[in-house]
Amino acid sequence: MNSRFPMWLQTVYVAWSNLLAYRVNFFLLVIGPALVFFFVKFSLWSSIYEQQGNRELAGLSREAMLGYQAMVLIVSLLAQGHNSTRLAEDIRLGRITAYLIYPFSLFEFHASSFIALQSVQIITSSVVFLMAISLGLFTAINLVFVVKGLVLCFFVSLLWFLIQYCLGLLAFWLEQTWVMRVLFQIIAQFLSGSILPLEFFPQGLRDALMFSPFPYLTWVPAKTMLTGEGSIIYAVGILCFWIMVASLLARLIWNRGLRMYTGAGM
Amino acid sequence: MGSLQSLWKRDFIEKAAVKPLYLEVRRGEIIGLLGPNGAGKTTLMKMFTGIVVPTAGQLRVLGFEPAKRDLYFRQKIALVMGQKSQLWWDIPAMDSLQLLMRYYEIPKNLFLERVHYLASLLEVEPQLQVHIRKLSLGERMKLELMACLLHDPQIIFLDEPTIGLDLIAQRKIREFLLNYHRERGVTVILTSHYMADVTALCQRIVLVMNGEKHFDGPIRAFEGLMGQEKYVKFFFSQAQNEQHPLLIPWHPSFGNQGLEVELRVPEDKLKDVCAAILQNLPVTDFQTEKMPVERVMQELLSRTGA
Amino acid sequence: MLGTLKKYALIYREFFATCLAEATTYRMHFVLLIVMDLLFYATTLTTVDFIYQHVSAVGPWDRNQFMFFLAFLLTVDQLHMTFVSESFWVLSASIRNGDLDFLIIKPVNLYFLIFLRHIRPASMLLCFVTVFLLWHFGTKAGLGWVQFMLLPVLLILALLFLVSLEILISASMFWLVEGTGVNFFRMQLQQVSRWPDFVFYGLPRRFFTFVIPVLLIGNAPVQFLFSPFAFSSLLWMIGLTVVIWVLIERIWSKALRQYESASS
Repeated sequence: MNSRFPMWLQTVYVAWSNLLAYRVNFFLLVIGPALVFFFVKFSLWSSIYEQQGNRELAGLSREAMLGYQAMVLIVSLLAQGHNSTRLAEDIRLGRITAYLIYPFSLFEFHASSFIALQSVQIITSSVVFLMAISLGLFTAINLVFVVKGLVLCFFVSLLWFLIQYCLGLLAFWLEQTWVMRVLFQIIAQFLSGSILPLEFFPQGLRDALMFSPFPYLTWVPAKTMLTGEGSIIYAVGILCFWIMVASLLARLIWNRGLRMYTGAGM
Repeated sequence: MGSLQSLWKRDFIEKAAVKPLYLEVRRGEIIGLLGPNGAGKTTLMKMFTGIVVPTAGQLRVLGFEPAKRDLYFRQKIALVMGQKSQLWWDIPAMDSLQLLMRYYEIPKNLFLERVHYLASLLEVEPQLQVHIRKLSLGERMKLELMACLLHDPQIIFLDEPTIGLDLIAQRKIREFLLNYHRERGVTVILTSHYMADVTALCQRIVLVMNGEKHFDGPIRAFEGLMGQEKYVKFFFSQAQNEQHPLLIPWHPSFGNQGLEVELRVPEDKLKDVCAAILQNLPVTDFQTEKMPVERVMQELLSRTGA
Repeated sequence: MLGTLKKYALIYREFFATCLAEATTYRMHFVLLIVMDLLFYATTLTTVDFIYQHVSAVGPWDRNQFMFFLAFLLTVDQLHMTFVSESFWVLSASIRNGDLDFLIIKPVNLYFLIFLRHIRPASMLLCFVTVFLLWHFGTKAGLGWVQFMLLPVLLILALLFLVSLEILISASMFWLVEGTGVNFFRMQLQQVSRWPDFVFYGLPRRFFTFVIPVLLIGNAPVQFLFSPFAFSSLLWMIGLTVVIWVLIERIWSKALRQYESASS
């Protein structure tokens, strides 16, 4: 285990300089969309609440709603930045053959790029967090709640990485995996409460959703950071369950995919 | 036929990819652009076709200025790049060819005639209906050639058309090009890494190094740059003395611990020298150099330090 | 003139045939594209529907008007996905890998070759859904037959405006070389355009109406449909389309001079 550490470190380092080399692209691909998404929702809810004379909607005040949307932005930056475009490309162009020979596995390689991205995103989201505070988007900040939320974000990011990893592995079967990624993005954004907080959903749908991993991706961590509601142990437990499911799934897909991998493009 | 005159293209880091260069090509000529990697051959080809715009100088191809991308100009030229494909990966070649028929406004019956003519010359008729991604590189290259010749261009630019192909496929493509040139009298400008391409096809050679022209003339003169000498290589059954009087006058370079030697012998003395060596030394095998042009290039490269 | 039209019509037919041939090769992809679009429509409409369960109006619009606005934009999006979207992604790749070379030397209009080359037959099928949505919410929002007659023209104007804007923006790919970021930027603009302009205030609203005028795409035609006297932003949109094409001509000729062509 000890001897593997330098390999990881070096790979993280390479991935890191790669991110910084394409700064403009990185901004446009990862940070920009999150900011625009927030901008649109902020404008929308501001104008809706203004028209409603700032009354509560679905039990949420104007402040609670805007604070929630700001937290969604933080969670998405912190835990949902990773995507597997690169993995899919590696598979399709036959570049994974190299990793079948290296003493460093493909999973380890992509996990290190994930770590590199996360380290950058911790900085970006901290900056955004401070800016949100200075703009007065949060009426009250409770440090304990925020720490609880950050713990959840850590597990969410792991789950997100594994889901993306599975989606990337689909490149063994699909010529283009971007459709699957966009599909997941559309579903996750809607069902996790990124667009509308789950309070706006009909009760029945909301209850049903709690059996899926989706609310735990955004709604639960954002709520935790704001209000500290709900048991964090329970939420972590649920997330760990889904992480296990996703990692088993990743293993299964990888084994299946490798069997039919022809080494195209070699 | 117009001339390709002094032109100059500046690179991103202010490094000139092509320095001032004068070149004139006559109608029906086949010329070979030679040079090491990064010499500026491909940049030249891209300027000739109007893909890249020269920053200075004058360039006329078929009387047009390529950078203006005149519609009629584009109808008269063709470009094949050995490293890139213009055929669609996921559909049969015939579908891509039909698209080209529309691009170049080729009448349907003429199109079918050309397809038949070219496909039988290149022996790819069965491959026309196969998805490109399922073809071998050699077959794909033949179809690429076909795609570029469909509209009967007056001038053809071939950028390393045989790269990556095996020897048989290379030879087939060369033969086809020679035949096609003989029948249609088109102008061909070719770059290649394989000397065999150049010696088989080109009447004239232009050597480009570091964006500069180092030689321009008939292929015979190019070979003659080194004097009328030939390389002969002998293999011995036992190691030879490096000072052997039979070998020493001919600039010997020994290899394999004296078991091999390479000599540079003037053509008129070749017969005598070889006879003497074969008689007096334990020769197991010998051969004369097959690709002198390659040698000349190597020599020129080492001289200029390029 | 007629000859040229015929030439381009024939080329376009070939475009369609090749895209269809390609689409049938990857059936799974074909199905997934349809599922993706349907989910996108569903979540977009549901989001607004959920909001209207808690409020009776957003700005001056009731539920049906807002839904019609979304139906209009989803139709623009569907046309965009069908006829141009793919080409923008291919453009960014072909600038990077040098495949653009082959297009530049073809005796065909370059914009035509670049932006209309790739058609997605899967998205085309969804016109049944979008037409239904337009009809359904249009009737509910009280549109008359004159407005329905105008609808196709307005849809085309909106699409034309959006695509022109995007062509102008994508010239920047030649300088950036890595054009994926520019494509993501385009998608962010589309996201902004999917909301009524009265949602935005102050500087952002002026910015997205005058500088990068994406808010016009849906708002100008739909507001005109709701009240025929509100035609000023529609005229502004049409005028801007012309201005944008003048800019495209200028900037693209610079961009092409900039094109380095990836070395082989």
